[in-house]
Amino acid sequence: MSAPAATPLVALRGATIGHGRRALLSGVELAVVPGDFLALVGPNGGGKTTLLRTLLGALPLLKGRRELPRPLRIGYVPQRDHVDAIWPLTAGEVVLMGRTPVLGPLRRPGPADHRLVGEALARVGSGELASRRYADLSGGQRQRTLIARALAAEPELLAVDEPTSGMDPAAELSTMDVLQGLHAGGALAVVMVSHRLDAVANAAGRLAFVDQERALFRVGPLDEMLQPGPLSALYGRAVEVRSEGGRRTVQTVPGVRR
Amino acid sequence: MSALDGFLAAREIWQAPLFASLLAGALLGFLGVYVVLRRTVFVSAALTQVSTVGLVVGLFIEEQFHLEAEHAHHQLGMAMGFAVVGALLLGALRPRRLPAEAGVGAAWVIASAAVVLGISRLVHASHDLGGMVFGNAVAVPDDELWMIGAVVLVCAGLHLAFAKEITFASFDPETATALGLKVRLWDAVLSLTIGLAIPASARALGALPVFALLTLPASAALLLGLPLRAAFAVASALGVAAAAGGYLASWFAETPTGATMVLVAALALLPGALRQVRR
Repeated sequence: MSAPAATPLVALRGATIGHGRRALLSGVELAVVPGDFLALVGPNGGGKTTLLRTLLGALPLLKGRRELPRPLRIGYVPQRDHVDAIWPLTAGEVVLMGRTPVLGPLRRPGPADHRLVGEALARVGSGELASRRYADLSGGQRQRTLIARALAAEPELLAVDEPTSGMDPAAELSTMDVLQGLHAGGALAVVMVSHRLDAVANAAGRLAFVDQERALFRVGPLDEMLQPGPLSALYGRAVEVRSEGGRRTVQTVPGVRR
Repeated sequence: MSALDGFLAAREIWQAPLFASLLAGALLGFLGVYVVLRRTVFVSAALTQVSTVGLVVGLFIEEQFHLEAEHAHHQLGMAMGFAVVGALLLGALRPRRLPAEAGVGAAWVIASAAVVLGISRLVHASHDLGGMVFGNAVAVPDDELWMIGAVVLVCAGLHLAFAKEITFASFDPETATALGLKVRLWDAVLSLTIGLAIPASARALGALPVFALLTLPASAALLLGLPLRAAFAVASALGVAAAAGGYLASWFAETPTGATMVLVAALALLPGALRQVRR
């Protein structure tokens, strides 16, 4: 299955993605519909972030087309370490930036925007962080702040790049709980990049395998994709999928290459 | 007559340079917060040199074509043109195989060499350039003062109107781009204001104090741990204080104005540095 039947929020058709003139992947067919939870997985450097940024329109297509049936409100959560904590901003000020594209030039944020900032922080369980310095927050708190900033844009599509990278297990679970909670709340579509299969195995509805080294792009429902065969093909080694206590875990088998 | 009486009696001499210094101090202090936080301190050094190339080219053309020697606004126009183009190029060109510092370093060293070569070809005007590069702030003609005032107004207007876009594009360009902001446009607006401010100030104060006022007041404000908005205000105020203090100190101590401004601006770092030591 390459795309669900509902009218997509955004889609790539016959797309070649890459940087500059350098193509990373060709023939990409990918559609995101309302309520989707799509995880882009694959090895580091496989082209996941490039695919995400192309889907959002932040990178140009090398070939093919990007379909946007109507204007789309996007929320974007970058990798945490891409945001420079040297800036003396509070978490509330960082979240308020999410209103910038909504307001447009020459309009200043008003009380309604500040209310939305408070609500966005509350939705990620960080209402008390508004006046704290972003630089003073823990990794998990910064991640929730960046998710809140994305929510402040009142998005229909929430794009998240490696949200659990470098986190301890508790912070990783907490961040994934936040994302699952947001997705469960309505028609919000989530597209998430991760190289941590465990992180997405219990949250996503669909998986896309992305690996430019193997010229591999494949997308399908989680249950179909989260199988030892397809995963072993993606990672080049034997992979086990287990279900324990209602949670799936994915592990590579030491020493067994495919 | 006391030194103060002498100073007050000489109002016609210091009035315009002091006022130009105050305007430049406020503007450069404000812009310096972006310069420091975007980690582009040496971009401002390179742009100062690039604007000096513009001055040299302007003087060279005047000499070659036997134009009248005093065309301050023509020289300033050349310097501004070079600085704005340089700022836009340094902002836009990001070679993928080199760190950004390499481009900035190349711009600085090429511009510096061009200034040295240009000066060697100047017959009459090379002496004037000494003041422009190292700063004297002794004589500021009225049209130059008006030019600095106009640049301050343009920069203040742009930053008031587009503060949230410029800040977002500077703080997190990746997310700003993903959300549809024209990051290159807002970077260009910031570069334009810096490209206008540097030559307008450097013509009056000299390159050395301009570089100092772009880095030291902002660094001092940020060392104090102030929130961003307060950092802008305090950096501007410190820029004014350093420019005025440096000018007055140089008058009474009879020291070079530009270097005195730099040292007075450096004093502003002390409270923040002490705060860091105490923590």
